[in-house]
This record gives sequence, C-alpha cells and structure tokens, in this order.
Amino acid sequence: MAISLAQASSMDLSQDYNFTGTVTGMGTAGAMTLIKTLTASSSSSLSFVNGSNDVVLDSTYKAYKFVFKNVHPATDGVNFQFNGSTDTGSNYNVTKTTTYFDSIHREDDAGGSIQYQSANDLAQSTSYQNLARSTDNDNDSNISGELWLYNPSSSTYVKHFMNRLNHTFNSTPQHTMDTFVAGYFNTTSAINAIDFKMSSGNIDDGTISLYGIS
Amino acid sequence: MPRYKLVNGINIQLTAEEEALRDAEEQAWLDGAFDRAMANLRQKRNSLLAQTDYLALSDQTMSAEMTTYRQALRDITNGLTTVADVEAVVFPTKPGA
Repeated sequence: MAISLAQASSMDLSQDYNFTGTVTGMGTAGAMTLIKTLTASSSSSLSFVNGSNDVVLDSTYKAYKFVFKNVHPATDGVNFQFNGSTDTGSNYNVTKTTTYFDSIHREDDAGGSIQYQSANDLAQSTSYQNLARSTDNDNDSNISGELWLYNPSSSTYVKHFMNRLNHTFNSTPQHTMDTFVAGYFNTTSAINAIDFKMSSGNIDDGTISLYGIS
Repeated sequence: MPRYKLVNGINIQLTAEEEALRDAEEQAWLDGAFDRAMANLRQKRNSLLAQTDYLALSDQTMSAEMTTYRQALRDITNGLTTVADVEAVVFPTKPGA
C-alpha cells in the first residue's frame, strides 16, 4: 500500500533517494529563471534588450528581477541610473513618475536618518531614474541590490518597478545608504529593453543579472 | 579613448553621436557639482537640526548654547560659492541638551 502521507520524522533526509516517477502538482508557477548576466568592464552602460543573445524581456514572464552585485563606478560621487525603451534600445526615454527615499548611517555612528529625496524623483520625465546617488568609488565600495519590473509587455497598463539597493555614500566618513525607488513607466507600449549607467564615467566592474519570474 | 556599451553581453563601441551625447551628459554632471554638494550639505544640516527640534517645543527651555548651535547650523550655507567651500565646512559641536 502506497504511503500517502509521511511525517517529517519518518524520512531520513541524510540518505539518498532515487525518484524514478514524475513529480506532479508542482507546476512552474513561481519559478525564477536566470535569463542573462552581464559583467561590466569599464562599460559606459549595460543593456538588456529583448530578442537577441538569449535575452527575453517580453510576455514570457509576468515579472522580471534585475540583481546588482558589486556594481562599482569608475568615477567618485556619481549616481547609478536606469531607463526603459519601447523600441528595443534605439531610445531610452520612457516617461516615468517615481518616488525616491533613502536611509543613511555613518561609519562614525552619527547622522542616522531617513529622508525623501525630491531631487532624485521624477514627475512625467523621460530622464534616467537614479537608483543610487553619490556613490563612492573607493576600492571597497560598490552597489548591490535589486530592481523589479512588472508585466513589461502589457498593452493595457502602465509598468511598475521597485528598486532597493545598498551602497556606500561618497562622504567622509563613509555612509551606508539604503535606497528605495519606485514608480512606473507611463506607457501602454511594451517595455522591451532596460539600460543601466552612471551619471558620469563608466561602470568599472560588477554584474547585473536578469531573472524571469513565471 | 572610445567608450563601449555592453548590450546583451556584446561590447559595442559608441557611435560618434552617442559619444557626443555622453560628453554632454558628463559636462552637465560636472556643471552641477556645486548644487549637488550644497544639497548634501543641507541634508546633513537638516538632519542635525531635526535631532534637537524637540528642544524648541513649548514645554522645553532651550539653553543659550543650544540656540547658538542651531543658529550656526542654519547659517552654515552662508557665503559658500564653490565645491571646495562646501567640502571645507566644519559643523559646530552639539552642546549638551
């Protein structure tokens, strides 16, 4: 008689089990699929464009996640930015309305605060959106975090995005800065490319990975 | 030195038009250095003022030293005209409450 319910204490998970049947009922919902990782090397920008080199940024997934790991600017005190495209990267100039706030804490334990940054939000602007401001370029400094983009291929709705990352703020003494950015591309055209760059100078090093969430 | 953009993992040299656009962006960034420095200075100043705002409540009595300290914070942007001026700013020491 087949066992239909096994208690956790009934299975020794230190052992190897060989399942020869098909696991059903799991589906693919919620799967997170790595689409592409780009590694900067003195790059003026890093772009993910739908439709080539195995990059998909369309209706294949309902949500996309960009993961930033050790993104390092070549120039001190610059902003890390992004923009979207509706023409597969010919132009990065989609209208956006956004919010931007960050929390900050100094290495000398002073100046802890949370502040809305009105100089870094956008109101119906096609400019690049800052994702981190005044980033330090010391050898031990970098940007790490993530950006979510929801249903970029919708022809009905605007496209929301949310970004959270941590980086070293360019100041003396150094600060850690936790940045929150959210908003939407105010278009019903499909967003099919995303571009990342610094406000000045190159992206010296680091990786950006794109995942699709089914 | 030519610039390169990384598109889907492929390094592509910027066109002359893209180079000119990037040059203009970088110049605009340099031109805004003073405004950015002042914004950061004001943020830090405002944070320090906020830490002692409670002393201005009607049921508190602010010491003369604290009044002087808070006025010095408010005046800290006076006379600054260059990035070097901003970077040379020394914040006043917070007195005991």
